[in-house]
Amino acid sequence: MVTVEDWVEAQARLADHLGIERFAAVIGGSLGAMQALQWTLSYPDRIRHSIVVAAAARLTPQNIAFNEVARQAIMTDPDFHGGHYYDKGVVPTRGLRIARMIGHITYLSGEAMAEKFGRLLRRGAPGFDFDVDFEIESYLRYQGDKFSSYFDANTYLRITKALDYFDPAADHGGDLTAALARAKAAFLLVSFNSDWRFPPPRSREIVRALLDNRRIISYLEIAAPGGHDAFLLEDPRYHAALRAYFGNIEL
Amino acid sequence: MTSVEQALLAARPDFAAIAQWVDRGARVLDLGCGDGTLLRYLWQAREAPGYGVEIDDDSVIACVSNDVNVLQVDLESGLSLFADHSFDCVILSQTLQAVHHTEGILREMLRVGREAIVSFPNFGHWSARMQVALGRMPVSESLPYEWYETPNVHHCTVTDFEDLCRCLGFRIRERLVLHHGKPVSLLPNLFGSLAVYRCTAP
Repeated sequence: MVTVEDWVEAQARLADHLGIERFAAVIGGSLGAMQALQWTLSYPDRIRHSIVVAAAARLTPQNIAFNEVARQAIMTDPDFHGGHYYDKGVVPTRGLRIARMIGHITYLSGEAMAEKFGRLLRRGAPGFDFDVDFEIESYLRYQGDKFSSYFDANTYLRITKALDYFDPAADHGGDLTAALARAKAAFLLVSFNSDWRFPPPRSREIVRALLDNRRIISYLEIAAPGGHDAFLLEDPRYHAALRAYFGNIEL
Repeated sequence: MTSVEQALLAARPDFAAIAQWVDRGARVLDLGCGDGTLLRYLWQAREAPGYGVEIDDDSVIACVSNDVNVLQVDLESGLSLFADHSFDCVILSQTLQAVHHTEGILREMLRVGREAIVSFPNFGHWSARMQVALGRMPVSESLPYEWYETPNVHHCTVTDFEDLCRCLGFRIRERLVLHHGKPVSLLPNLFGSLAVYRCTAP
């Protein structure tokens, strides 16, 4: 297993190798947000600004549950072979497809899905069979197929475990304020109100802990319809805020 | 004082009153902070660090541009982000009249802060009274909106506000009533258009 802390450690070694002592800013969304936060805890003196987008300081049981369904889909695929599928010349594509489909459902908001697909039918009329009826089915199958053709199953399993394990407060009896006390960076947090995977209350927990520690922090809660994926999209307010924030970082 | 600051204080005469009540280096929370002008001014004039709370997207982005700490949360749902007594001073400048849960916000201000500074347009000013007497909703420099477009929902007078402070058990430490930026001491509820209060718990 590798953890978010391990990744930050690896990135720090790369930075050492490249001769980068301090970062003016680190930025990340979702799992990347966990890394942007972890950098300020592992190396408080090397980070001046941390931009933490669509974040959570720890996953909820519901989030872990989605990850577990994805992992079970992969590990119960007959082509998984205990992870040694390359030795057998196969890939657990069925499992990866289902894992990706589950993921996609949770990355979009219900509103965005309704807006994009509605109840549009693929074949003009219901088929009363198990072929694709609705556009959303077609979309999920397409995304699943695409993903399973290039993404490594063992990597997917480990990434979801890294998400599940991340919990900087765990070493402090669940006290996030105590956990973030060592951070010295200035922070910008951004959440999106339609994100139900890492919703605004998860970001507000981090904001509260940083305020308790009297850190420099700004927090934006953007009313964007894109769900968790909003952090990858071009919402003008989101981009304007990031541009404004970066504009004030001294180099 | 720079020319920018002079222009600012002319536009927002309550800011100077607020600033003189903020101790040097005090920790400040500005509720409904707009583009962060007051916080920036307090940092420059009083070296008082702080945070703003604002809901409007454009204003929040302006705060970020102005290098002011801003938190985009809805005041109406309370100040649950902030721990008890975590600020020296909590400011509500010309926002009281636009707030729905007036009592709740005022109580929250003295939960998270040692002091509350509140400014609001005085609805008791003679020009407002006269316009109402003549059968119209008041429109003036300090109340610049027509009734159908105003963001204001809870107008009050100097006397009304002091009554509410009594009800809530707030102690009024200082009061400044202004008109055109100048202090009004004679019949302030009649001749003042802008009121600024400094309150603490009893």
